[in-house]
Amino acid sequence: MHIFFLSIIIIVTGGVLAPFLNRHFILMKSVCVLSIAFGCLLGLYYAGLQLTLPVSDRASFDYLHHFTITFQIDALSAFFLVLIFGISLLAAIYSFHYMHQAEKPLATAVNYLFFSLLVASMALVVAAANIITFMFSWEIMSLSSFFLVIHNYQKEENRKAGYLYFVFSHVGAMFILTAFGIMYWYTGSFDFGETAALTNTAKIIVFVFAFIGFGSKAGVFPFHVWLPHAHPAAPSHISAVMSGIMIKTGIYGILRIYTLLNFHTPVFGEIVLIAGMVSGILGIVYALGQHDLKRLLAYSSVENIGIILIGIGIGMIGVSSGKPMMAAFGFTGGMLHMLNHAIFKSLLFMGAGMVHHRTGSLAIDALGGLLKKMKMTGGTFLIGSLAISGLPPFNGFVSEFLIYLGCFEGTGLDRMAFMSILLAIVSLAVIGGLALACFTKVFGVVFQGEARSSAAENVDEKGLTMLIPMLALAGICILIGVFPRAFVLMAIHGVSGIGTGFEPALLEPFIRLTGNITMASAIFFAIILVALAARVCLYSGKTITRSGTWGCGFTQPTVKMQYTGTSYAASILAFFSTAAPLREDHSGVEGCFPGRSGYRSKVHDVAELYMNAVIVHPVLALFAKLRWIQHGDIHLYIGYILLAIIVLLFFI
Amino acid sequence: MIHLVDIVLSLVLLSILLSFGSNRLAVLIKVIGFQGVVVSSVPLFMGHDLSAFGIAFSLATLLIRGMIIPLCIYLAIKKVAIRQEVEPIYGHHASMLAWLGLIVASAFIGGKFNLPAINNHALLMPTAIALLTGGMFLLMGHRNAIAMVLGYIMMENGIYLVGTTFSTSTRHIVEFGILLDVLAGVMIMAVILQNIKQQFDDVDTSLLRTLKE
Amino acid sequence: MNETDMIVSVILWLLAILLAPFFAAVILKVKAFFGGKKGPPLLIHYYTLIKLFQKGSVYSTSTTFMFKLGPVVSLCTAAMALMFLPVAGYRPVLSFNGDVIFILYLLGLGRFFTIAAAMDTASPFEGMGAAREAYFSIICEATLFMILILFFKLTGDLSLAAYLSGSGTLGLWQTAGSPLLFVVIAFFIVLLSENSRVPVDDPATHLELTMIHEVMVLDHSGPDFGFIELGAFCKLFFYSAIVSRLIAPFNPGHPVLNGCLFIAVLLSVYAAVGVTESVMARYKMDKVPKFILISFVLAFFATIITLEFLR
Repeated sequence: MHIFFLSIIIIVTGGVLAPFLNRHFILMKSVCVLSIAFGCLLGLYYAGLQLTLPVSDRASFDYLHHFTITFQIDALSAFFLVLIFGISLLAAIYSFHYMHQAEKPLATAVNYLFFSLLVASMALVVAAANIITFMFSWEIMSLSSFFLVIHNYQKEENRKAGYLYFVFSHVGAMFILTAFGIMYWYTGSFDFGETAALTNTAKIIVFVFAFIGFGSKAGVFPFHVWLPHAHPAAPSHISAVMSGIMIKTGIYGILRIYTLLNFHTPVFGEIVLIAGMVSGILGIVYALGQHDLKRLLAYSSVENIGIILIGIGIGMIGVSSGKPMMAAFGFTGGMLHMLNHAIFKSLLFMGAGMVHHRTGSLAIDALGGLLKKMKMTGGTFLIGSLAISGLPPFNGFVSEFLIYLGCFEGTGLDRMAFMSILLAIVSLAVIGGLALACFTKVFGVVFQGEARSSAAENVDEKGLTMLIPMLALAGICILIGVFPRAFVLMAIHGVSGIGTGFEPALLEPFIRLTGNITMASAIFFAIILVALAARVCLYSGKTITRSGTWGCGFTQPTVKMQYTGTSYAASILAFFSTAAPLREDHSGVEGCFPGRSGYRSKVHDVAELYMNAVIVHPVLALFAKLRWIQHGDIHLYIGYILLAIIVLLFFI
Repeated sequence: MIHLVDIVLSLVLLSILLSFGSNRLAVLIKVIGFQGVVVSSVPLFMGHDLSAFGIAFSLATLLIRGMIIPLCIYLAIKKVAIRQEVEPIYGHHASMLAWLGLIVASAFIGGKFNLPAINNHALLMPTAIALLTGGMFLLMGHRNAIAMVLGYIMMENGIYLVGTTFSTSTRHIVEFGILLDVLAGVMIMAVILQNIKQQFDDVDTSLLRTLKE
Repeated sequence: MNETDMIVSVILWLLAILLAPFFAAVILKVKAFFGGKKGPPLLIHYYTLIKLFQKGSVYSTSTTFMFKLGPVVSLCTAAMALMFLPVAGYRPVLSFNGDVIFILYLLGLGRFFTIAAAMDTASPFEGMGAAREAYFSIICEATLFMILILFFKLTGDLSLAAYLSGSGTLGLWQTAGSPLLFVVIAFFIVLLSENSRVPVDDPATHLELTMIHEVMVLDHSGPDFGFIELGAFCKLFFYSAIVSRLIAPFNPGHPVLNGCLFIAVLLSVYAAVGVTESVMARYKMDKVPKFILISFVLAFFATIITLEFLR
């Protein structure tokens, strides 16, 4: 435990030093990056060690005699700590060249301060072992990430995004607090772990409240509205951390509550599974319709959270229906997908950050042809896209494969459960196809073809510290895809922290499975090598000419004639038009020699569309009716205070 | 093991799919005719009622259901309708999904009935319920009067299928009575259709709203 | 398994790749027959491939390494998929629990690279084809997984070998019966759309606006194009072999008889594709998803019906 606290202290020290060093820009960045990176390394070492140990580590401090601050790190926490420290390490390194605005040293310093606080608070959230500690860390996490979102506060849309995020994270926290409050009502203790006193109905209510609260952090549909606003607003390494790991703390919360309640009803599994399917499909459909690269990636996070929830839901149904293998496959797949998503999503956000850094634009339809000049960014982005589409031999496939196996294990169940599992399999297949469409769109339009605007011309890639984390993450994507065994075992260790009520999962099927994946990937690479060799042979001594693209007889092509991302996605979006209404503005073409014309399209998010009508307006109307309380007369306010004191006296 | 009845019943279910998927009146009528033939041949395959009277009766229903009624309607549309397209209120994808939901729902509900006569024909009850609800769906989803009539006939097919499960001789009488009712209904419909057509120049039932006053 | 078995499997795999172009020519013959023509020789695709392999290439100035990688990966994924296929009911080179999912995602990898190679050229036509390819394959994938659920329920296994080799297929028919017919139809529809045949796509057309797959490879030439063609033949062989095994699940016992039966049924499947192409016209683009959706609906229907029987 000491190593853990030491690493937290090192991380926070780096952040706190930043504002004092803001006169020396490079020195400040070096100090912050080094201390955060070193702290993360230390934490990573500790978490890795703790993951394999069967006993959990516990530490407790008294605070004001009434409250104890307790931390406990079991296998589940350790798994999340690996994610948190690992990704934060790379994000910190990435930030060194990414935060390049030397003219705004103070803003950068504040960014580092809150970045370090965010990393530390995330680590504390997963380590917390009672309600007080948990909520305390949770609030620090929400607040520090809020300040990171409004880093570029000069832009109005960023301030709005921050405001939206603030509201969402606090309404979510309110739900979580309600869930904990009900728990406290029954147990009379702040400690995690004494839930036997709860009745079954109370357990279900607690789970539902906690699911809404944690779901709003994780970005579960329809509580995901803040995600596509906040992620583009934040700097890229922050988006990587937020999307890669911070939203996973929501999943951690769901898993932790599930473990605490220790109540195996099919209701939990069904709730999680259905939420997962809806988030998965709608998330990727909305992603397909976006025009902004980072917004697209944010929606894709909603989709991946959906996949993770499908895995976890399958696991929960497996537990409640007494199928150990189904539970093991589902939970392990979900956990591994969490790791995988953290890796490829932060890789993609870092790639998007590099694109923004070099071209100054994130509009998908304004870019193009970047692969020619930005070979490393493009290459790693390609690997990230392949991995996030769940294709072999990359890491996304391994976790989706496990979830599929879990689903198929569950097809033997009775009707109701069978129907939802059938739908889960089909939605996983549809999600896979849509993700492929979405990321071929991104890669094809942003990195391939010709530059669509002057911003995308003549770019280059600079910044060694930005490239190193991307290369490392891309390497891990392939590593997990080809040699998944160690990582699957790591996920199984993490799953052992979830109270499934079964004996520890049999490792044998996993070992065989990962062996098969490794073998199949190796054979695939061998075939590729043979084909490449054949290609070299066939081309030896041949004439190779270069000319323009065949325009089907048209000899004056311009870059504007390229297929855009909008048109690429149009037909698929039309298929889903009920769930993703499309608004189009087209000024039309008139006459034989038309003048300028314009076209705009926007895919509406139904959750966002109805949030106003269903929640915001009624709440505002209610508050408008309570306006009389705020009288403006200071004497009345003093009266309120007096009243409050008297009421309190009666209660205590 | 698979019974011949089940194959026939799967064909019935398939005909519901076709009726949802088609958007031309002539095709829809053919599908309903096909459905009539298949539905009325079900008792022949059930095997518990193979007296001469039973067979003759089944053939008679087959003739009425599969030939006469569709032919009547076909002639009626030849006379009155200008447009061959029937535009459902819902889209193609939606109706496909609705069909899937229908199959699942009727399988669920069909499992709830526990009639001894149908226990060895697992598909019978779900198919009958799918026909009933499917006919309802056609009725709801169409504005065209003829398509609505077809939906009504589909429901009648469903009722007939439920009837086959009661293997008593009285069922023939009841069945035949219903069938004649339908036949009479179809005849009346043809007359009324012509009147609607003369009045409004179309057979869109939403035009009937103007009669409210 | 012993070594001779393995050697036979590998030989069958190589044979499948080598013979795939021959079978594809059968479609052309059938179409020519319907058109009242003599048609090209049955070895036409070999001549084409040899001609292509002897040529050099022209590359667009817009392209990058992805354009060259695309054909290689699409060929390799199709060839690798054949490794899992039990040819004539004989055990395949590779087989493990869950290999069907692996194959489907592997073919997805091939699709990703084909699309990426098309987007690389900056051609509006190829982008259009790529968008359609990405769209239609979503529904196909849903159908295939639906069929997979049914097969898993019937056999309790998740490998192609369990469904198609030995007496596995016969077992499928015995437990499921008539609904399997719908599965065959659904699978045939998937075959048509995944291999870009009429009525989904027209491989023979010369109007780029209406094409899907052919338009994506407009800029490829020489050996690269040969790779793509060979990959397409392998993929067609993969799907056709599955359909033929489903149609004729019998095992005459003797290996030679077995092979003859397999080839005969395979030829009839290719001929069926040819007949479909001869008697049908290409659908309008907006009708294609409806057509493919029917395959999903049929597969779903077959699954539900079969489960009713199984209870």
